[in-house]
Amino acid sequence: MGGTASKLPKDLLSEYQELTFLTKQEILLAHKRFSELQGRENGPYSSRVSMEKVLTLPELKSNPFRKRICHVFSTSDLRDGSLTFEDFLDLLSAFSDSATLEIKSHYAFRIFDFDDDGTLDARDLEKLVNCLTGETDDTRLTVEEMRQLISNILEESDIDKDGTVNLSEFQHVISRSPDFVSSFKIVL
Amino acid sequence: MMELREFNNQVHPTPDYPSPYGSQHSLRLRTVPPQETSAVQFDWASPPEDAEDSNEPPNLRELPLHMGLKRAVWQVQQMKIPVVSSSWNIKQSQTFRRFCEVAKHVLSYFVLWKRGIQKIGGHFGGGVQSYFLFLRFLVILNFLSSLLIAGFVLIPSIVFRSMNFNSTIPTTVNLTGVEICLQYDPKPDTLMVFITYFLDLISGTGFMEYSYLFYGYYTNFNSMVESNGFSYNIPLAYLLTAAFYFLFCFICMIIRMGGTARVAVVTGGGATGGYSALVFTGWDHGLQEDRTTKLKQSNFRYRLQVDLEEERLKKKSASLTLSQTVSLYALRVFLNMVVLILIGATFYGIAKATQFSQLMKTTGFKGLVLQYLPSMVITASNFVVPLLCDKIALLEKYSPSTTVILALLRAVFLRLVSLGVLLYTLWEQITCEGDISKQNCIPCNYYYDEYKCWETRVGQEMYKLTLFDFLITIATLILVEFPRRSVSVFVCVRSYISILKMYVFNLFFGMFRIVVDHCSCKLTQWVGRQEFLVAPNVLALVYSQTVVWTGALFCPLLPFINTIKFILFYFCKKITLFQNCQPATRNFRSTTSNFFFLLVLLFGWMLATMVLLYSVTKIHPSYGCGPFRFSPTMWEVVPQAAEMLNSTSAEFLFYMGSQKFSIPLFIFSCVLLCYVSALTSVHGKSVALLKSQCKLEQRDKQFLVRQIEELNATVQKEQREPQQPQRETDTATRWNQHDNYAFDRDEDPRPY
Repeated sequence: MGGTASKLPKDLLSEYQELTFLTKQEILLAHKRFSELQGRENGPYSSRVSMEKVLTLPELKSNPFRKRICHVFSTSDLRDGSLTFEDFLDLLSAFSDSATLEIKSHYAFRIFDFDDDGTLDARDLEKLVNCLTGETDDTRLTVEEMRQLISNILEESDIDKDGTVNLSEFQHVISRSPDFVSSFKIVL
Repeated sequence: MMELREFNNQVHPTPDYPSPYGSQHSLRLRTVPPQETSAVQFDWASPPEDAEDSNEPPNLRELPLHMGLKRAVWQVQQMKIPVVSSSWNIKQSQTFRRFCEVAKHVLSYFVLWKRGIQKIGGHFGGGVQSYFLFLRFLVILNFLSSLLIAGFVLIPSIVFRSMNFNSTIPTTVNLTGVEICLQYDPKPDTLMVFITYFLDLISGTGFMEYSYLFYGYYTNFNSMVESNGFSYNIPLAYLLTAAFYFLFCFICMIIRMGGTARVAVVTGGGATGGYSALVFTGWDHGLQEDRTTKLKQSNFRYRLQVDLEEERLKKKSASLTLSQTVSLYALRVFLNMVVLILIGATFYGIAKATQFSQLMKTTGFKGLVLQYLPSMVITASNFVVPLLCDKIALLEKYSPSTTVILALLRAVFLRLVSLGVLLYTLWEQITCEGDISKQNCIPCNYYYDEYKCWETRVGQEMYKLTLFDFLITIATLILVEFPRRSVSVFVCVRSYISILKMYVFNLFFGMFRIVVDHCSCKLTQWVGRQEFLVAPNVLALVYSQTVVWTGALFCPLLPFINTIKFILFYFCKKITLFQNCQPATRNFRSTTSNFFFLLVLLFGWMLATMVLLYSVTKIHPSYGCGPFRFSPTMWEVVPQAAEMLNSTSAEFLFYMGSQKFSIPLFIFSCVLLCYVSALTSVHGKSVALLKSQCKLEQRDKQFLVRQIEELNATVQKEQREPQQPQRETDTATRWNQHDNYAFDRDEDPRPY
């Protein structure tokens, strides 16, 4: 345990303030929480915390998109969803109060893109809806309802009618929804 | 399908994904040429036409890259700063930005109840949180208003009174024939029984009447302190403070509405988008508990199923026969008439109750009940009539969102107009129905016998309304909501025996709650944990605030009382929320409803302003009390004061008030309004144009793809045997001719 505020050097702190949307207090709090996850003191800013440990955070524990969030923000070569402290800061910055709509919609798109191919096709949408309604069998929609829902979604948001929702179309839908910025928020 | 997407992305590459993404399996990225990848990372650096210093550090945060890349970009950027002057500019903007951040951070310490409201939002969602944000806004508004009034009216009055100035009768006033009107003696008996004390406290009579609480205590101290040459015109201060208070509230509301209105207009009222908006933006990532998450998921499922079901039904019954349509509309008209009759009956009841209570003069407990009769009738109608309206609305068969809006509108109408009826009845009695030549109003221009100090009476009515509203809310909390949770225990048949045992052996509330929470008996769920309904609660707040505004001129301490009342509301509502309520099952569009609530508050404000303007300019102030007793109307003090200034300022002020100034101003603001709305419609049209252009481009693309496929097929046909290419062409053309997307019936939904 360690990771007190004095462990984070001032120049690094100001650099993080420049590069993210977080305030100084938020960065220090994030540092504290991340150190608790790490469980020991070490060369701080490049060591990784495994995805299982990250998912024990109360803010992420019951989020249905938690695994996708970790995958999106992870810079690990093994693609195992592990996060460094800087990845963690990136995560908090994108989910912070002062992040812009563009950043939030960009990351939301990547989180919803379950197969990481750059567009939301019908399979991504199906997995997304399953996350929203619950993963167990008695909480899913029926096949017929899913089909109807996905065709409705594509009809509304697929402007160029190619069968998938790309980033611009997604951002267009998001921009018309006034509550997105306040609901796409995680605060420690 | 895969080839088409690849083709798509080659023609329109999405340059948003940086290279760390690249080691993944996506076919698309392997086909993106390398210079595009590097262009992604350093795209910000040199668009040649962008010579100005707009590529400042703030843009760095908005790059969707991870930290290592951002740092690299930053370092390159630092090295690129060439000229001294531009670096000074950048440094200046950096320091300014840091200062803004520090200021924001310091100010955030002063934000009232920040943690509490965040916690509420985390557990109950955005809708309930918007109620508490609205409550906080009103608390701050009332607090600042009470500071205003205290500073300009209350403290000077206290000071002058303690310095024992006498109020003087100005020599310019002719008081013959109205001596009878000057008699006003509200001084309480020195001997007071406790019960009288308590009754006086809650009805504003007796010792409360002649105090700083009400208008009657303030006098027209206008005297100068000879030694200092200092004068403070209390009547003018009183009037101008009231006017400024209204203006201040108006400006605060407009500013707050501006933010919400901008969002609501841009997003088209939030009603468009439907399914895609719900699915893409519906999840609240701030939710933290497992139980809340599961609840939210089941809400989602419920809502999606209901919407899909509605759509299916709508498609089925798309064609109503003529007779069915006519009968539906006839039903709606009839039900609207029923609602109007109901509301009309309420108004009649309120008018009668007010008249009755004003004319009856009994003391003691019965007198108290009589005094509170108008408040009781209003509150009862505000409970009963919306319930009936809800039931009626169900019969009208509108879509769910229309039903909600209609119900809200009816409730708002009921609340505000019932207050208006109360005021109208009061006015009727005070001014003898506006006809000052009637018998009762002859010497004093108002109904002297009954209302020796009519402003104080009106103030007392508003004070009673406020107090009664508060008592009823607290009583509802204690007597209805808390027991409802434990009463439901006895309704659940299945666990009746265990409940009995628990009741006998455990007398703690906590145990009841556990049973309620885990009892899945249907009846328990119906009676048990109730929802926190946002709309009726917000309307209650709007009503209270309107009452305060109406009464502020006659009861200067009312905003202060209201501040305390709302603070207590916050804590009580928070407690009941966490102890008794579950999150709402209906999704609540907080932003558009925020705008609606502020709009309703604005209506309340307008009602209060009308009352203020009328009483200031039309009704003769009481002769026996108050700071305006010797002017023909309250407004008269202002021209009198203006005349005492030097001639240029006086002329300027009179010009501003005249028609020569106000009519051109009005015309100018109309022109501005037309300009802005024309701009809005032009923007909307250009958006529609761009959308159709997008569609056309895609159709062109599909046409080209089809051509290529056909060409491909012909080429392959020449190289291969006849049957195979035929089949391929068939599938290809068949797919291309479909305008539909994923669920092509001929195609396997899991192709790879």
